[in-house]
Amino acid sequence: MKKEMDVDDHKLELPDLEAKYSTSITKGLVGAVAAERLLRDGPNELRPPRGTPECVKFGRQLAGGLQCLMWVAAAICLIAYGVQEGQGDRGSADNLYLAIALIAVVVVTGCFGYYQEFKSTNIIASFKNLVPQQATVIREGDKLQINANELVVGDLVEIKGGDRVPADIRIISAQGCKVDNSSLTGESEPQTRSPECTHDSPLETRNIAFFSTMCLEGTATGLVINTGDRTIIGRIASLASGVENEKTPIAIEIEHFVDIIAGLAIFFGATFFVVAMVIGYPFLRAMVFFMAIVVAYVPEGLLATVTVCLSLTAKRLARKNCVVKNLEAVETLGSTSTICSDKTGTLTQNRMTVAHLWFDNQIHTADTTEDQSGQSFDQSSETWTLLSRVVTLCNRAQFKSGQENVPVAKREVIGDASETALLKFAEVTVGTVSEARGRFPKVAELPFNSTNKFQLSVHTAGDRQLLVLKGAPERVLERCSTVMIKGQELPLDAQWREAFEGAYADLGGRGERVLGFCARWLPAGTVAAGTDPEALPEVAVGLCFAGLVAMIDPPRATVPRAVLKCRTAGIRVIMVTGDHPITAKAIAKGVGIISEGSETPEDVAARLRVPLEQVDPRQARARVVTGAELAGMEPGVLEGILRAHPEMVFARTSPQQKLVIVESCQRLGAIVAVTGDGVNDSPALKRADIGVAMGIAGSDAAKNAADMILLDDNFASIVTGVEQGRLIFDNLKKSIAYTLTKNIPELTPYLIYITASVPLPLGCITILFIELCTDIFPSVSLAYERAESDIMHLKPRNPRRDRLVNEPLAAYSYFQIGAIQSFAGFTDYFVAMAQEGWWPLLCLGLRPRWEDTHEQELQDSYGQQWTFEQRRYQQYTCYTVFFISIEMCQIADVLIRKTRRLSLLQQGLFRNHILVIAIVFQVSIGCFLCYCPGMPNIFNFMPIRWAPPPQVPVVVRAHALRPPHPHLRRDPQAGRAAAPRELVGS
Amino acid sequence: MARGKAKDGDGNWKKFIWNSEKKELLGRTGGSWFKILLFYVIFYGCLAGIFIGTIQVMLLTVSEFEPKYQDRVAPPGLTQVPQVQKTEISFTASDSKSYEPYVKNLEKFLKDYSADQQTENIVFQDCGEMPTDYKDRGPYSDAQGQKKVCKFKREWLENCSGIQDPTFGYKDGKPCILVKLNRIIGFKPKAPVNDSLPAEVMAKYSPYLIPVHCAAKREEDADKIGTVEYYGMGGYSGFALQYYPYYGKLLQPRYLQPLVAVQFTNLTYDVEVRVECRAYGQNIQYSDKDRFQGRFDIKFDIRSS
Repeated sequence: MKKEMDVDDHKLELPDLEAKYSTSITKGLVGAVAAERLLRDGPNELRPPRGTPECVKFGRQLAGGLQCLMWVAAAICLIAYGVQEGQGDRGSADNLYLAIALIAVVVVTGCFGYYQEFKSTNIIASFKNLVPQQATVIREGDKLQINANELVVGDLVEIKGGDRVPADIRIISAQGCKVDNSSLTGESEPQTRSPECTHDSPLETRNIAFFSTMCLEGTATGLVINTGDRTIIGRIASLASGVENEKTPIAIEIEHFVDIIAGLAIFFGATFFVVAMVIGYPFLRAMVFFMAIVVAYVPEGLLATVTVCLSLTAKRLARKNCVVKNLEAVETLGSTSTICSDKTGTLTQNRMTVAHLWFDNQIHTADTTEDQSGQSFDQSSETWTLLSRVVTLCNRAQFKSGQENVPVAKREVIGDASETALLKFAEVTVGTVSEARGRFPKVAELPFNSTNKFQLSVHTAGDRQLLVLKGAPERVLERCSTVMIKGQELPLDAQWREAFEGAYADLGGRGERVLGFCARWLPAGTVAAGTDPEALPEVAVGLCFAGLVAMIDPPRATVPRAVLKCRTAGIRVIMVTGDHPITAKAIAKGVGIISEGSETPEDVAARLRVPLEQVDPRQARARVVTGAELAGMEPGVLEGILRAHPEMVFARTSPQQKLVIVESCQRLGAIVAVTGDGVNDSPALKRADIGVAMGIAGSDAAKNAADMILLDDNFASIVTGVEQGRLIFDNLKKSIAYTLTKNIPELTPYLIYITASVPLPLGCITILFIELCTDIFPSVSLAYERAESDIMHLKPRNPRRDRLVNEPLAAYSYFQIGAIQSFAGFTDYFVAMAQEGWWPLLCLGLRPRWEDTHEQELQDSYGQQWTFEQRRYQQYTCYTVFFISIEMCQIADVLIRKTRRLSLLQQGLFRNHILVIAIVFQVSIGCFLCYCPGMPNIFNFMPIRWAPPPQVPVVVRAHALRPPHPHLRRDPQAGRAAAPRELVGS
Repeated sequence: MARGKAKDGDGNWKKFIWNSEKKELLGRTGGSWFKILLFYVIFYGCLAGIFIGTIQVMLLTVSEFEPKYQDRVAPPGLTQVPQVQKTEISFTASDSKSYEPYVKNLEKFLKDYSADQQTENIVFQDCGEMPTDYKDRGPYSDAQGQKKVCKFKREWLENCSGIQDPTFGYKDGKPCILVKLNRIIGFKPKAPVNDSLPAEVMAKYSPYLIPVHCAAKREEDADKIGTVEYYGMGGYSGFALQYYPYYGKLLQPRYLQPLVAVQFTNLTYDVEVRVECRAYGQNIQYSDKDRFQGRFDIKFDIRSS
């Protein structure tokens, strides 16, 4: 689209066109030629954007930062195993076992991630599989129904009201054909299609109908000039796939975090590798230490936890009509700071509705709510009786049959948008329209046309005839000589004209489409049946003016509250529409995008009576910018405007301009959500941090480009999404803090093992069990945690500053809670050793003899002699004891992590049932691992005794001493200062 | 977002390490660093204090004389002297260097069993020449001072005592090994029930004896082992019960484990022969996992030249 369209078919005369496509405008193509062209050009359908091959997707799941570390660890294990096996060493199968476990972990988590991704892609696939579209085509003079994707250039096709245009078509003949080009241009008005070339640009001319637009009414015959990807829509779609995909904020967060973790893991590993070498361990042993430290330090279960948390939220959102294509988009929504919303259908109901009436020199407000729950106006006046009769009779629209039980608002109507609105309005306010029409049979009528700008009909009313007329108010007034006020016909003098002008300007200023209504009683037989309609205007003079009716596409009922919610949540809502600026502004005011009391520069200029150029932009909070103004702007000016005016409305914008607006917002550092439904929106949807497509009105291209789909097309659903996104960010933070904590008690055993040469307190397999088995459930259950306070009253997070994992969180997890857990673990370890005969001081430096497989009579503190295997089971006992202490500390930890701002009691200890179940589950798994027969030899768990665990005081103390969430402070300095004070205080 | 990320890259690093405007080192002022360090010093100080306190309290609950639990150490292991790597004894009879380590190991181990080491009557008690019942020596505490220890005469080991032959038979290609049961406090091995034993063991049966028997590990080696001589208390090939129970290294610092010497007088040369020795008793068990529980196996490889 950025390059000029090179279509000139609209300018060609029909014979030239026939020649160009070697076809016939009466008989169509010959079947054989059509088949040949189908072969040459391919089917007439949009090629879906080329997806990543499945194996690459899977490979990516296996090659993340942490996964790579795990691969390295597994490789080291295998090498160690190979070397030890080569030396004929016994008992080295442990390393092989561990390598297999590590590879299994990577593959299983990879499969899991892949499955999640696959599932979300499937949701999209379901949108694509619509019923194949049919097209009526004329070939060799015969009318055929074929699948639309078999159409070729040169085919002669017929379209009628209700059809989707099957390809780009040059109209040859048309009868009252109107198309809805909104998905292409954003123009919501139906547009006439006729054979004449009316414009040089192929996009503006009337004789081309575009692929995938809707034909609303009438019929047309045309010649296919472009198919598939060569259609205008196809070109836009390919433009969309050209916009590169940005990484989601959460992906960046996780990457950032994984980088840190991987860096620290390698740092620790390398440090202790060097230490081990310096102490004098053999190279291979030092490598195994390195591997063990990596395994201990890397949070293996973290990525799975994050994926599960996100998919849980995605499911929750799906129940609230938001389908998320990309899991990470859930969180992006939470960090959104700007929403660029479409008007039609998203903010509004996408149906014209009567909003105001003017009669008896008074503006009455009609009920515009979706469910007709609003207040009605005073209907006692006789003027209303006349006006309602005109509204009922002077209307060609009618309900489709068989909808008696459907609420009026939801009934389908044949007719254009304004007539539909009037019909429904009449049906609701006066009663059954068809009955009224039956009482006043139509004698003659003149349909609306653009020269007259009115429509009139004559009806029999007993012994009289009633002439009713509606149309553009100024044209209607020209034909009136009287005006009806409270049932009295008064002469239409200058005073009334002024009142009329005032009301007209007022309603027009509200962005409403205004129609005037008038009527006149005629003696019976004035107009005979079958009178030439063109003669009717001569009769229609000296009419009595009944009133004005103004219509608008009203805002959805839920939108103003949602916009307000956005505002309190610090999210800026920008309206971007193809509609008229006045209408756009009116709707923006109606839904609160332009808040009460805010003025545009134009308003300020009008108030101060100064020229527009002299208005200080800072005085105007709001601003309406049209596409034309936008096109004339220097780069960078738009950013300035966006910065100067918090309340922005863009009207009459083109698709590319939408893209420009999104990019400008992003340059200002905002995380931008964009809603859209048309094909023309897809580049902007793609460019946005989160593209939101409409499920009902949205085109496939928009859905393809979007990250999220609103099934009910409702703006309020986005706000729900934002809320969920923020909640999940909070909860993910909790989950990650919980997950991170245990890495320290997993790491310290190795550090002590290497430096103090004690028998190993915690094995690698046991660590994997903690990471991937017992602790997964509590960390996932934190995703079910309720919001602590009204998260919608906070500003959106700043992606630069508010990281998922920040320094205070890491310090708190690692150096405080992690340290406490390590001490608890070591206390238990030394107790378990001492109770079996190995006193703490003996343990120090014991490792070489302890691990000597040929030492079968090692003496403990009591002089008892132990064989190697006995020592090994004792070591497994230590693993188990350490495991249990970590588990118990983690139960305390999960309770600590439940809250970030409130106290545990405020949040409710048992309100999160899932968390309670998870803790029970965790304990059960722990017991199973310890007490299931056979565990010692399979997973190195030993049954241990029930004893009052000595770390209980430690855990209790952890609660008592807990600094109040230093990682939560928005201001990091405050958090740091608080920690020491807290300590002194307790 | 990814975009613009590069902008705040390098330049800020230097500023991060030392910010001269705010006098911040690594993002904190000196005062802040001091506070945070003070916090962690106190925090870890408390943690360490509690840790040490808990360990001390735990040690108070653990008796000095008797371990709280023994479920991992019992049933006992059976081990041999000389202690050898990979449980393989290989030497050339004519080359004294090749068996010197074994002889030294045996000699060192038997030093405590020499008669001149067992003269103090306060420590040692004569427990007779024949196996008898357990000798209970009261509670596991030092209320009555140290406990006495039964003497074990080195002479009982005869050819393997090293008194006549300081090379323990190695120079003749008739190697001796000593078999002993791992020490476990309070453990009272129970003599086996008659019918569960091999016939050779039954030949010299005593109700107060834990018999020891060595045989080929594999059937096909049976004829390569030749004659096996056993020397022990009173000529029995086993551990007499009066040496049990053991009272721990505080109460019986000079405890002598009963020994059985096993001499292989006719081993086939130049072939690896695997021998398995077992101790038999009702509460002595064998395990597939732990090959040293109640038994052990050892490989002999005697080279003729």
